[in-house]
Amino acid sequence: MSRALAEVLLLGVVGAVVGVHVALRRLAFVTEAVQHTVFPGIAVAYAAGWPLLPGAAAAAALTVALLVGLTSGRRRVDVDSALALSIASFFAVGVVVVSRRSGYASDLGTLLFGRILDVGRAEVVETAVIGGLCLLVLGLAHKELVLLALDRTQAAALGLPVVALDALLYAVTAATVVVAVRAIGTVLVVAFIVTPAATGRLLTRSIGGAMAAAAGVAAVLGWIGLSASYEASVHHDVRLAAGATVVVAYTAGFALAGAGRLVLGRLRTGRRPA
Amino acid sequence: MTTSADASGARPALRLAGLGVAYGRRAVLEGVTGEVAPGGSLALIGPNGAGKSTLIKAVLGLVEPAAGTVEVLGTTPARARGRVAYVPQAESLDSEFPVTVAQVVLMGRYRRIGWIRRPGRADRAAAALALERVGLGGRAGDRFGILSGGQRQRVLLARALAQEPELLLLDEPFNGVDTTTTEVLLDVLAEQRKAGVAVVMATHDLSIAHLACDTGCLLNHHQVAFAPIAEALTPELLGETYGRSAVVLAGDCTFVTPH
Repeated sequence: MSRALAEVLLLGVVGAVVGVHVALRRLAFVTEAVQHTVFPGIAVAYAAGWPLLPGAAAAAALTVALLVGLTSGRRRVDVDSALALSIASFFAVGVVVVSRRSGYASDLGTLLFGRILDVGRAEVVETAVIGGLCLLVLGLAHKELVLLALDRTQAAALGLPVVALDALLYAVTAATVVVAVRAIGTVLVVAFIVTPAATGRLLTRSIGGAMAAAAGVAAVLGWIGLSASYEASVHHDVRLAAGATVVVAYTAGFALAGAGRLVLGRLRTGRRPA
Repeated sequence: MTTSADASGARPALRLAGLGVAYGRRAVLEGVTGEVAPGGSLALIGPNGAGKSTLIKAVLGLVEPAAGTVEVLGTTPARARGRVAYVPQAESLDSEFPVTVAQVVLMGRYRRIGWIRRPGRADRAAAALALERVGLGGRAGDRFGILSGGQRQRVLLARALAQEPELLLLDEPFNGVDTTTTEVLLDVLAEQRKAGVAVVMATHDLSIAHLACDTGCLLNHHQVAFAPIAEALTPELLGETYGRSAVVLAGDCTFVTPH
């Protein structure tokens, strides 16, 4: 349980910070694409009995290369269609690989929804190292990434390597998905990156503020979600899938923040004399 | 003044020789030839899609010429980066983006600051001075997006000033802005030119072009004219640039309708 909590907190904080960058660049769909294209990588590794991380990383690297190729070229490619196509086909490859094994349904369930309560010590350490590297890279390139998100032409005019910066952000996003995918599963990972970041942006007005709020929200709600799931299954004999419960807690937090802002806005306008 | 500065004073800030740009096989710009001296000012005039923004991108080194050459401050556009500042249209930036006015202006210093390092005291002072110059010193802490269109345009001008450029490129800076912003823009551009900064701006507004520029380049995919502003803005040349949409009224007064 303590290992699961450490994993949820780590992934929550890293996902929150990465997620704010993803939101600034409007890359949520790219994140969704990476989480699905990673699936055949971990499926092959799983089927062969290899560690999942290298398999996921190889598939993610391929996706990042594809993304950079699609978005940096001079010819305009319909990126949405290309991503949608690769999501479906990569996913199909993964299912085909997994379905060749016996116990297909439970294997598929593990890969799709993760097994956060069984997370091992080594996996937590890996998450800490890779997540820490992601945060370090984002911190070092922070001002350049923000400028690129606001004004791509100015970034290029100042001589910043815009394609390399794109690739860097894709790579960090993909790395986050890769470490998260074992614990959370390929279906729910996107919520770790998108939801707390969206909540953070609702609660604050600056980028640093959004990151801090998103990380705080992710940590608190991750703890609540995981505890609720643990409590329900151990003491009340109700099975609540841990990863999914955390995601539900994230979503509730987002809804609450959205509703709170709406109410505050109404109160403010209502207070003015008509 | 050092000798190298004297040398740069003698050569043009911008020299275009037979410049052509193509996107794929489609030529968007052909045969642009002319010079802008340090302290000089060039108006790029022509209908939407005539290649004005493309010409600016070629000077920034963001598109490769298909023909001819671009020489910026005596060297290639790529080597001149950092000495050239660019002011985009305010509407082209996301007004929901969570940055303050001061942060946007500081972005003009990023090349000087370099990778990894954070803005220092000199950078903050330069940004504050630039913001003061465009009359928005009191708005530094406000979110960029809550400012009016004209104020945002002035913030972007301040960002370019903070860069301390030798060549200033502006894309339709007077489009849809209030009178205060128009006055500040004209004032700042005149001041910059006096200090030896060359100015190139795309504009639809012929009276602004008259006021702010000494040279005009009339474009409609090809160069119609590149001449002193009074010689460029004639009814005949404008008619050739805009096709039938240029309407000439009462002698020296020319109106250009958008369609």
